[in-house]
Parts: sequence; structure tokens; C-alpha cells
Amino acid sequence: MTRRRLQAVANEAKLLLIGIPVLLWTLLPIYHLFLFAISPKQSAFSGNLWPEEPTLRNFEIVLSQQHYFLTHFWQQLGNSILIAVATGVITLFIATTAAFAISRLRARGGRLVMNLALFTYFIPAAFLAVPMYRTMGLYGLLNSRWALILAMVTVASPYAIWVLKQASDKLPYELDEAAIVDGASPMQLFRLVYLPLMMPSLVAVGTYALLLAWNEYLYAFLLLSRDTDITLPVALGNFLAADDSPWELLMTTGFIYALPPAAIYYAFRRYMVAGLTAGAVKS
Amino acid sequence: MAEVEIREVRKSFGRLEVLHGVSIGIQDGEFVILVGPSGCGKSTLLRMVAGLEDITRGEIRIGTRVVNDMPPKERDIAMVFQNYALYPHMTVAENMAFSMRLRRARQAEIDTRVKRAAEILGLSALLDRHPRELSGGQRQRVAMGRAIVRDPQVFLFDEPLSNLDAKLRVAMRAEIKELHQRLGTTTIYVTHDQVEAMTMADRIVVMRDGVVEQMGAPLELYDQPDNIFVAGFIGSPAMNLLAGQVEADGFRTEGGLKLPIERVPAGWIGRRALYGVRPEHIELRDDGVPVEVLVVEPTGSETLIMVRNGAAQLGCLFRSRILPQPGETIRIAPNPALVHLFDAETERRLVH
Repeated sequence: MTRRRLQAVANEAKLLLIGIPVLLWTLLPIYHLFLFAISPKQSAFSGNLWPEEPTLRNFEIVLSQQHYFLTHFWQQLGNSILIAVATGVITLFIATTAAFAISRLRARGGRLVMNLALFTYFIPAAFLAVPMYRTMGLYGLLNSRWALILAMVTVASPYAIWVLKQASDKLPYELDEAAIVDGASPMQLFRLVYLPLMMPSLVAVGTYALLLAWNEYLYAFLLLSRDTDITLPVALGNFLAADDSPWELLMTTGFIYALPPAAIYYAFRRYMVAGLTAGAVKS
Repeated sequence: MAEVEIREVRKSFGRLEVLHGVSIGIQDGEFVILVGPSGCGKSTLLRMVAGLEDITRGEIRIGTRVVNDMPPKERDIAMVFQNYALYPHMTVAENMAFSMRLRRARQAEIDTRVKRAAEILGLSALLDRHPRELSGGQRQRVAMGRAIVRDPQVFLFDEPLSNLDAKLRVAMRAEIKELHQRLGTTTIYVTHDQVEAMTMADRIVVMRDGVVEQMGAPLELYDQPDNIFVAGFIGSPAMNLLAGQVEADGFRTEGGLKLPIERVPAGWIGRRALYGVRPEHIELRDDGVPVEVLVVEPTGSETLIMVRNGAAQLGCLFRSRILPQPGETIRIAPNPALVHLFDAETERRLVH
């Protein structure tokens, strides 16, 4: 009894021994970010663990657009939201219908599509940035938010299709047959049986695509240039153009920008674990 | 309710033909069980009746309609699957109502039918539960409820009891049989378990390798198997089959064992044949052949004893409680009136 307890404690200790450094490693930059955000400009680089006079003044400046670099803060945040949500929705639509057609309807050429999807990952997305720029130019979409949305959908879809296809393969095929015998058309099968059962994976994949677009810098920087069109990460990058960058405002904006993803992860944490591991292993 | 006519049906997957011309006529209200070892084509045939597989050649009629090119939903059939195939995100009531919802039936009618089906199956208290909250037997009953609600022309069962434990299987067997007696709906039922087939069917169709080996009432198949395959497949424990030769005064096995025949079939003296006797048709007799006891399996109501004489092994089933020691010698004699003879080459039954 005591032996077993000891063993349990030892196991716990080992986990903590790994967990605590990892936690610190992860949290330290975020703490640094936060520290900058609540420090006045002159003491931002003081190196203290806690500012002598913590202030919310930086947040006030950012949120009321009181600095030259931040004149379009709300507009740019809106762009980010619009592009991220649109990317999430469109990617989900494409990936869900593709996974359903390939996995459940056994559409011809499904294997080919899956292999092509995998193939896209042989080339890093950064290498494709310039061709993508040119393509969007040909379509006349440069400087349009659609350019970034479509580019992000292109980057996110292959992985999304893979995850959803693996997840749908795990649904028993008899469910479809039962529904067909019950009189369901493929559309009804999709809507009434497939979608509800895929919900955890859909949430996970939708969030993945949304955050991918939310965090994107390179493509956003290339495809959008007007101050009123760019997303917030690109605007943040522009801070560095000056000799005297307002670091505390950069960090404050970054901190604000990091909040929605954190909230989304927190809200969907159950789905994230279930959805992203579902299909990873064959049970 | 309707009769089902399966005529010269063939099925090929690519170049491989798995059903080689199967014809079965099923009467209105009949309970027919397709039985055979795995890979014999019984499930494929059922799925063709359901409309889940194309019919390569031949014709299937349900009632008066040829259904070859009809989608499942127009065939007026309901199917119960081996793994239940319940919709996990719907409650029991929603599962049962699903087909009617698809047909846009009125809510009042749906409620009446679901309620009735639930009463028949004893599911009334479980209507608001989800499938994951049910036991295996309850899930299987919901799957049947889904079929009952539709009030179809034909019920199709695809190994519905295979996922249940032995005890529950026996209980559900009786339940399905009772349900059929009550509703009188034409039923086609697929299983690999010959006991299920024997206990439930009006008529059994024994299949092997894509052909029908024999069709008939359970006891008909038991009493007069057409060939060695059916003889060995139907009945448990399985029939003993011994190779040997027909002689004027009986049957001589390859090991030299002399076994009785009631009547030697004309023209068969001296020819090679197989001697079939069921374990339960062997008696203990002082003038019987001596055999060595190998294994004794008492089950309480009866005792199965495996015995040996030379190379020949036999199973004997006795109603009386006798418990010989392994290695001991006992004397046994087949009941000559219940012995079967098969042609050693064609494997077909000799009529005698």
C-alpha cells in the first residue's frame, strides 16, 4: 500500500519535473509581453520583474488609436477577424464536402486527391508565396482581402481534408447504409447523420484554419498593402520601420492580438484534443 | 407483407463471381434463414435484396414489383445490421422515427408508431436515452424497433445477434421469433450460426461458395441432408462421417470397423461411400463395437463422449449420465434406422 503510494508520488514528481520547465519556457515570453504592455515607455527596458509603476495607459493608446502607427487599429483588427473567419468557414466547407465525398460516397479519384493533398506539403508555403502573389495578380485580386482569404484556404485545406477524411473513415459504414435503407438521399445523409457525428473534428479543423489565417504574416504582407486593408500582424511589422519603435505599444497590441486565440482554445479545448487526435490513430 | 422471389441471381465483384445463380422463393409471411460459413455469399444476397449491392444478373421481385433497379428506399424493406448501426447522436425515439421523418410523415403518426413499436419491444422507458446509454441487447432491440416502425413488406436481418453474448443471444432469439409470429412480416435472416437457423426458421437455405446447397424446413434438413456439407453443417454436435465401403451385411470403415445399415441400397455393394451418423443417434449396447474413450464432456442434461477405434474418431451424445474414464473401453452401436449414406465421389446422399 505505502509502496504503491510512493510509486504514485514518484510518477507525479517526474511529470512535474518535466512539466514545470516546459510551462516556464512557454509562459516566459508571454509574461515578457505582458510586462511590456503594462510598463510606461521610459521603464520598458528596465529589466525588473514587475514595473515600479504599472499602467494601463498603453492599452488606452492602442484601443483609442492615439499613435501614428495605430491610426487604423480597429480597421486592421476587423480585417484580421474577417479574413480568419472567412478562411475558417471556406476551408471547413471545402474539407468537409471533400472528406464526405471521398470517405463516404467513395467518389472516384478520391485516392488521387488525397495524395495530391499530401504532396502540397512537400513544398513549404513560404516558397509558394511569390507564385501565389503572381497568381493573385493575374486574377486581379491584389490588395483585396479575397486574395489573402483564398491563399489561406489553399494552405489550410489539404491538412483539413486529411484530418476530416481520417475522422470520417472511423464512422461505421453501416450507419450510411442504415440511413440509405431508411430512405436518406446523399444530401440528407450528409446533413442529418454525417455532420452531427463529425462535429468535434469540424470544430477542431475550423479552429485550425481560423488560427492559421489569424497568425499569418508573410502572405498578408505580400498580398495586401494599403493601410486600411492589411491585417494587424502586418501593421505590427510596420512598427519596426521606424528608428524609434514604440516597443511598449507593439507588445500591447501583440498581447491584445493573442487574446482571441487563447479564448478560442479555452472554449474548444475538449474538441481540440478529441478532434485532432481522432483519426490520428486507428482504434 | 409480400412474397420475395429471387431468380437465378448472380453477383460479380469485378471478374470474381461470388453468387452463381441463386433461386429462392419466399412466401408471404415466411421466416427464411440464409445460413452458411463466412464467404458463402449469404450477406451479399441479403444486401442485394436490400438494394445495397447491384444485381449482376437475374431478378429479384418483392411482391409484384421487380426491384433490380430500385433504390433501397422504394423497396419497402427494413434492415437490421450486425453492429446495430444506430445513429449515436439521436435518442431512441429519434432513431426509430428517422425513416418517417425522412418521408415527412405527420408528427402525430410518427408518435403513434414509435410508441407502438416501443411497447412491442419493451423500450417505452428508454425512449429519451441515447444509444451509448443502452446495453447491447437494448441496442439491438432499438434497431429492430427502427424496422418495425416502418411497417415494411420485408424485414432483413444481417447477423443481428453476433455481437451479443451467448446468454443474451438465446433470449433475443426467442424474442425475434415471437416478434415474427406476432407481426407475420416476411423475414429474411442471415446467420452463420446453424443453431439460430434451426431454432427460428420456417425454412432454412444452406449456402456454400455462392450456391444453394439445400433448402427446407429445419427438421427436414436435419433428417434428410442432401449432401455431406449440409449433413456436417446442420446439427450440433456435428454428424460423424466415416469413409469406407458398403457391404452386403453393413458398412465397413477404412479402419475395418463394422457398422450396421438398415437397408443396403441397391447396386451399392462393394462401392466406396461415407457413413454418417449423428452423435445423438449412437447408443450404448453390449453387442456394439468396442471403442476407446478419449474425452468426456458432461453438460448435465446430456454427455458428449469422444471415442476412437483405430483412426476413426466419433462423437457420441448420451441422454443418460454415464461417466467413463478416458482410456476406458465402451461398446457403442449406431441406430441403423437413422444412419445416412453418402456417395464418396459426388458427396450426395444415397437414397435407400
